[in-house]
Order: sequence, then structure tokens, then C-alpha cells
Amino acid sequence: MPYEELPHTADIRVRVWAGSMEGLFAEAAVAMNRIMYAPCQGEGVSESVSLNAEDIEALLHDFLSEVLFLSEVRGVVFCSAEVRIEGGSLNAILRGEPFDRRRHGCGPEIKGISYYGLRIYKRDEDYVMEAIFDI
Amino acid sequence: MKEGVKRIGEFEWEVPVGYTAGMRVPGRFFLSEALAAELEEGAIDQLANVATMPGIVKYSLAMPDIHWGYGFPIGGVAAFGMENGVISPGGVGFDINCGVRLLTTPLSQRDLKKKGELIERLYEAVPTGVGAKGGIKLSNRDLDEIMLEGAAWAVNHGYGLPEDLVHCEENGHMKEASAKDVSQKARQRGVPQGGTLGSGNHFLEIQEVREIYDEVAAKVFGIARGQICVMIHCGSRGLGHQVCTDHLKVLEGATKKYGISLPDRQLACAPINSPEGRAYFSAMAASANYAWANRQLIADMTRKVFQEFFGLKYEDLRLMYDVAHNVAKIEEHSVNGKRMKLCVHRKGATRAFGPESPDVPSDYARVGQPVIIPGSMGAPSFVLHGTEKAMEATFGSTCHGAGRLTSRTQAKKHIHGREIRDDLLKRGVYVRAPSWGSIAEEAPEVYKPSEEVVRVVHEVGISRLVARLEPLGVIKG
Repeated sequence: MPYEELPHTADIRVRVWAGSMEGLFAEAAVAMNRIMYAPCQGEGVSESVSLNAEDIEALLHDFLSEVLFLSEVRGVVFCSAEVRIEGGSLNAILRGEPFDRRRHGCGPEIKGISYYGLRIYKRDEDYVMEAIFDI
Repeated sequence: MKEGVKRIGEFEWEVPVGYTAGMRVPGRFFLSEALAAELEEGAIDQLANVATMPGIVKYSLAMPDIHWGYGFPIGGVAAFGMENGVISPGGVGFDINCGVRLLTTPLSQRDLKKKGELIERLYEAVPTGVGAKGGIKLSNRDLDEIMLEGAAWAVNHGYGLPEDLVHCEENGHMKEASAKDVSQKARQRGVPQGGTLGSGNHFLEIQEVREIYDEVAAKVFGIARGQICVMIHCGSRGLGHQVCTDHLKVLEGATKKYGISLPDRQLACAPINSPEGRAYFSAMAASANYAWANRQLIADMTRKVFQEFFGLKYEDLRLMYDVAHNVAKIEEHSVNGKRMKLCVHRKGATRAFGPESPDVPSDYARVGQPVIIPGSMGAPSFVLHGTEKAMEATFGSTCHGAGRLTSRTQAKKHIHGREIRDDLLKRGVYVRAPSWGSIAEEAPEVYKPSEEVVRVVHEVGISRLVARLEPLGVIKG
């Protein structure tokens, strides 16, 4: 998986990378699910997300917040995501499987994405994002 | 200690005005030498930053469990004048009314021969961990009522006893609550999570009263050596978190609108009496009420398990008290000899009202309000009582717990959940959690020692020790 957890005392700090900005958004959504739940491969359930924001960091924040909200309220573990970004708008399709406490209920519960510490930058050919997930 | 910080007593330190530009009052905090060695420098800067906020009175305070938080330090206490002061979500925290309650039982350790089985039963009865949904089905209307009524909603619907309410801070309900400024998103997160423990450092623990420090106070609180108790530690779940997130956005705009200059964007705030400030306060109070109902529902599940398992009566599990750790409240305090109505923010701090305070239940009035300090998994918890000194020095506040030392990632790398479980079992503590990882992340060694934190507040006198409780079994989220 193209992500790693970085040291943080109280919450979860992650770094995610991908070859494109859209890929980065998709990997970030999957990484967040992977941290909370066990690995998954299901494709049976899908949800779509459409958003606008004033800049790319705000777009990522709002996208991850929406993925978290859908996962929690609809009871879905997302295993993959397809993301399209045009200007300040994002359209995404998330695919996954229904949450099952016995299989997926093993990680920490992320309650929100912090504005603080959220950044996107280029590292060689990769797009990289760092964020703090509140737990 | 950081340069510029003055020691003014054995456990008392001052951050003078001028340490950070724009400070309106000094900062004060309480630490022993041992705790000072672990202090994060950033936390002192945060304490000083809070002192720059409009309308702050007397001191920007921090308790001995101070550590770096979002905007305000965790362990922070700050009070603002109602006329010219502000309210800030950073001073409350994301988990609004994260708190603890303690139930006493008529049992002793020799009744717990089948402790493992009891813990498994509780684990089945109380939904925990990520993705947990309520054992109690709530409608949207129920949620509306819960946000207004708090713990009373649960009691009125058969999930508790009327006397439970008297033994909750604020009687388990803030009257300023309104659901008007709670978003649809927050509501949707709140409906399925009523009566769930959550994850992270939240727990339900079976404990034994191992030591009594104050016989008179213990007797008044109904605690005796050798007694089995149940401690419940949780908060307002996704609902409270969403309310905080939603209103932070609004208050960031409000900070600019009202021309408030702040050294840190995370201190976003608005005048208490502005529309934005009032909206946050009423939604925060609604979330606090949800948290009180949540702890009441979990207490009900616990009582039912004990009833069935031990053949006890429902009322045999008595609610000793329930306190909030993350909340802002309107209270009256004495400032330079004058009574003032203030908006007191406690973030990772506990109210500790002294004897004869009108907000302390009448049966506890001569001792003061009970203060409950949860230990981390495997560590002791403490009961203390509020004091007159706290009323004078800290707006009636004290510490809330231990505070982390090590990151969760570090903990997972170096500590193995299975070893921790086995080690705790050898010491007589039975742990049940959804995964090894969640045990490792909350291992006892990742926290500062709670004994040292309570020793400091006891020595300073902002609360006094009553009893020490040792864990026997833990359910973790």
C-alpha cells in the first residue's frame, strides 16, 4: 500500500503517495479505510461523491470527511475509489463491502480529518499528502 | 523548564505576560519535577496563546496532565467574561463531554470467580470499537429529545433511575442546548451510535477499591475498601465530533468578522453573545447531553448484565457520580473579590466544586463534588473530591487523567498487544478488545503515571484524594 503512518502522540498521522493527483485522492480514501478496518477487496457496494472547494487541500479534506461520513453512516468499508478532479470540483465513485464487526472491527475509529497538518506536495514524480486523522 | 517560565511554588509555575505578544493575563500551571521532565514545550506556548484571547480573566490555566492539543493545550482551563469574552471549540475539544461515571456494587473480589465470563458478557452487551452501532434503536425524534434532555431522556425511557440524574454533573443535562445548529450530518452520525462505547482510550472497566485515603469522604460517596465498581469512560461519539468540525469552520470566519487577532488559527472563536458563538454553544450543549445519555445507556446495559450474572437488583448498582472532561459552561466565580458570570472552558480537565457549592448534590455537599480520574488500561483510577482551594485558584477545576507519552504508531511497533494482554492477565486484569493492535495502542506504558498527576493536584489542594481503584477487567473499543 502506498501509505505510511508517521509518529503522532494522540492521533494518527499519515503520508500517502501516488503517480497522479486523482490517484492520490483515491489512495488516501483507501488508506483511511485500511487504517480503521481490516484489508478488503469487495466491490459489491458503491457510493458516489461530488464536491467543490476553494483549493486542493480543502477539496482533499472535504473528500476524506465525506468518505468517512459515508463509511460510518452507511456501514461500508471502502476498498477502492475512482476520482476525477476538474478545477475545483471532484467526482468520485467509491466501492466496497458492508461492514462486518467480526471481520473489520479491529482498528481505531477515525472521527475526523484535521485541517491542521494537512498538506499536498510533489516528491520527484509522486504526488504526496500528509494528514492527521482524529481518533 | 522553558526559558521565561517562572517557578512560584513547589508545584506551581507562571508564564508571565509578555512571554507571547498580546497576552492579557498570565498563564499558570501545576507540575512536579517528574512531570516537568516530560512536558512538551509546545504545550506551554499553547497555554500562553490562550492568554491572548479577548475577555479571558485571571489566568490561562493548565492542570498537571497538560499536553499538546488542538489550539488549547489538553489539561487547559480558561474562563471568559460574558460581556467581552469569547467561546472557542478548541477549548472544549472534538469529543464534546468525553467523561466518566462510576457505578458502585455490593460485590467484592470473591464474587468474581467467573470474571472472564463476566467480561465476555459485558463485551457482548456493550457495542464497542470501530463501526459499533447502538444496542438501542433511536429515531430522529429520540435524537432530538436526547439532545435537549440528556441523561433524563434515558431515565424517562426506562434506562436508569431518577436518583442517577442527581449524581451527574449538571444533572446530566445542559439547559442551554438546542438542536437547531446541529447539522444533518451530525444527526446522521448520532442516530446509530447511541449507547456505544467507541474506540481509542474509551473503556468500561471492572475495578476494586484498593485504598481509601479519606474515610469520611469515602463514606459520604458510598465507597468502601474491597468494593467492586464499574467505570465507564466515553463521550459524544461521531455527533460531537461533527458538531465541533462544523462549527470550527463557522468560527474561523467569525474570528475574522469580529476582528479578533489570534496567534494560532486553531484558537478560532467568537464573542459568546454573537450569533456564531451562541450557535456553537447551544450545539455543544446538545452534544454534551447526547454524551450524558450515552453513558446512561451504557450504565443500563451494565446493570442488566450484573443483574442477570449475580442475581442482583438493578438498583444495587448505584451511580456514585458522572463528570465531564471536555466542555464549556456558564458558571459564577469570584474574580478579585467580585462575583462574575463566566464561560469556563475545560478541555481535558474536570470540574471540582468545593463543599457547600449549590451545584454539588445535597448528599455530597459537606465533602464537595466527587472527581473521577480514569487510569489508562491496567493503571489505577482515582476518586477525589473538589475543594474551596479549587474554587479560588482554578475556577473549580482539576486534572482529568494521565496524558500520553508515546505515539500510537510507536506503541504498535514496540509493544505487542498479545504480550500486554498476557502480562495484564498475570496481574489479574482481564482485557477484551476487538484486536491486539487496539490493546498495544493503549498499553499502560504509553501514558504518564496517573499516580503522579493526582499526587500533584492533591498536594496543591485543588482536589483531595479519596480512594484508589485498581482494574480487574477491561473492555476496550
